[in-house]
Amino acid sequence: MKVAVVSRSGREVVKGGIQLDDSATVADLQEAIHKRTKKHPSRQRLTLPVQPGSKERPVVLNYKKSLKDFTSGNSETLTVVFKDLGPQVSYRTLFFFEYLGPLLLYPVFYYFPVYQYFGYKGERVIHPVQTYALYYWCFHYAKRILETFFVHRFSHATSPLSNVFRNCAYYWTFGSYIAYYVNHPHYTPVGDLQMKIGFGFGILCQISNFYCHIILKNLRRPDGEGGYQIPKGFLFNIVTCANYTTEIYQWLGFNIATQTIAGYIFLVVATFIMTNWAFAKHRRLKKLFDGKDGRPRYPRRWIILPPFL
Amino acid sequence: MAGFFSLLRRLYLTAYNFTLFVGWFQVLFTVLKTLKESGHENVYHAAEKPLLFAQTAAVLENDEGLVRSPVTATVPQIGSRLFLVWGILWSFPETRTHLLVISLLISWSITEIIRYLFFGLKEAFGSAPSWLLWLRYSTFLVLYLTGISSEVGLIYIALPFIKASDKYCIRMPNKWNFSFDYYCAAIAIMGIYVPGSPHMYTYMLAQRKRALSKSKKD
Repeated sequence: MKVAVVSRSGREVVKGGIQLDDSATVADLQEAIHKRTKKHPSRQRLTLPVQPGSKERPVVLNYKKSLKDFTSGNSETLTVVFKDLGPQVSYRTLFFFEYLGPLLLYPVFYYFPVYQYFGYKGERVIHPVQTYALYYWCFHYAKRILETFFVHRFSHATSPLSNVFRNCAYYWTFGSYIAYYVNHPHYTPVGDLQMKIGFGFGILCQISNFYCHIILKNLRRPDGEGGYQIPKGFLFNIVTCANYTTEIYQWLGFNIATQTIAGYIFLVVATFIMTNWAFAKHRRLKKLFDGKDGRPRYPRRWIILPPFL
Repeated sequence: MAGFFSLLRRLYLTAYNFTLFVGWFQVLFTVLKTLKESGHENVYHAAEKPLLFAQTAAVLENDEGLVRSPVTATVPQIGSRLFLVWGILWSFPETRTHLLVISLLISWSITEIIRYLFFGLKEAFGSAPSWLLWLRYSTFLVLYLTGISSEVGLIYIALPFIKASDKYCIRMPNKWNFSFDYYCAAIAIMGIYVPGSPHMYTYMLAQRKRALSKSKKD
């Protein structure tokens, strides 16, 4: 079989095309492109050409499928459109660096005399809530890192390298911003009861969040395959994205206990981002499980924040 | 019904664009007149009212969708202008007599006079003369540079006055554990100009290329 590899503008990417066995898979083709262009398969996006001017989304070539699946009839030639996605990193690497920042930066504000560089002289009196907040914070990000390595199964193997810089900027900056206020020498603590309610509720949500992640993990086969499933069990019987619900509420618990504007700003931004993801996932599941042709029908559920969304 | 609303919308947009055209024209006229008659120290005082009015009204552009530009381009542009007008000139009168105020107001007003006239004519008659289109997409080549240098310069000049006053600052301790330092915020805003202005300039260059090549084809 002869495969022509072209760019989106129609320019030939691999000169003279690639000759492959008829039994070749997309992965074989990617390997061949890798040899010729020095672009690793993870950064190759291969699609079938679309009619110019057509608004349809192009068909993406799945690496596990056979090339024969994408040829029309008994055709011996195939044209694929190649797009270079740029350098990629694995999702594990991305998450690890995102969460490492807050995990290391927060204690810096607690343990080290950083506030003298902001113009605050003299001894700092540490309130109990500040110590508990440190444990709570570090537990949260340690949990996230451990989940990244031992719980999560990723449907996409890689993410563009540029996302690492964007996401790290987000997590590291917000982490430092919140840490600055919670550990501030002029910090004003809330009452004892409010603190206990906040941390108690937050811990409960973190445990629930962990359980949600276990449920999500079991929906996918170990190789990350298996496609989309209807999440079931525990809070997923009520909410599509119970993992986000519990994540949002555990930050609310932290904020009730520590009471900083910075923390609430982070809560609002994070909620906004997760709500967008949740709506996308809910829509995808409803479209996939439409109840037609023997497919199960997606049950009626809240999306992310019952009883509002 | 739909026809009625689109007519109403067109009338409103025409009125809006011409009102702001007049507003900015008044700014330019007052600046030049004051400059000639009494000297640059008095320019801000003379032009303050139309300036505050015209620049603040631009807020309506964002949610009205009057100008079909991406949010990433309009929000920082209008935001930085509002910061200059209200956050610097209006809040810190010490800056008002500086020469940069003149270059700032002249750069802004010429740009806006052309822009609102262009959009106003387009709304009212469906098209604008080609020389106006050319001006709309060419004057920024110079005026954006003079405008933005004046903006950054004026923030820089205001810095010692901002530091000396406690205006708009929130200090700890307080119940909500929050603080805000206007001096730091002003420096941060100056920092945003560093990547922001080349980004805007290249964006406008691309817009220019698109608009002028499209008009050639027609």
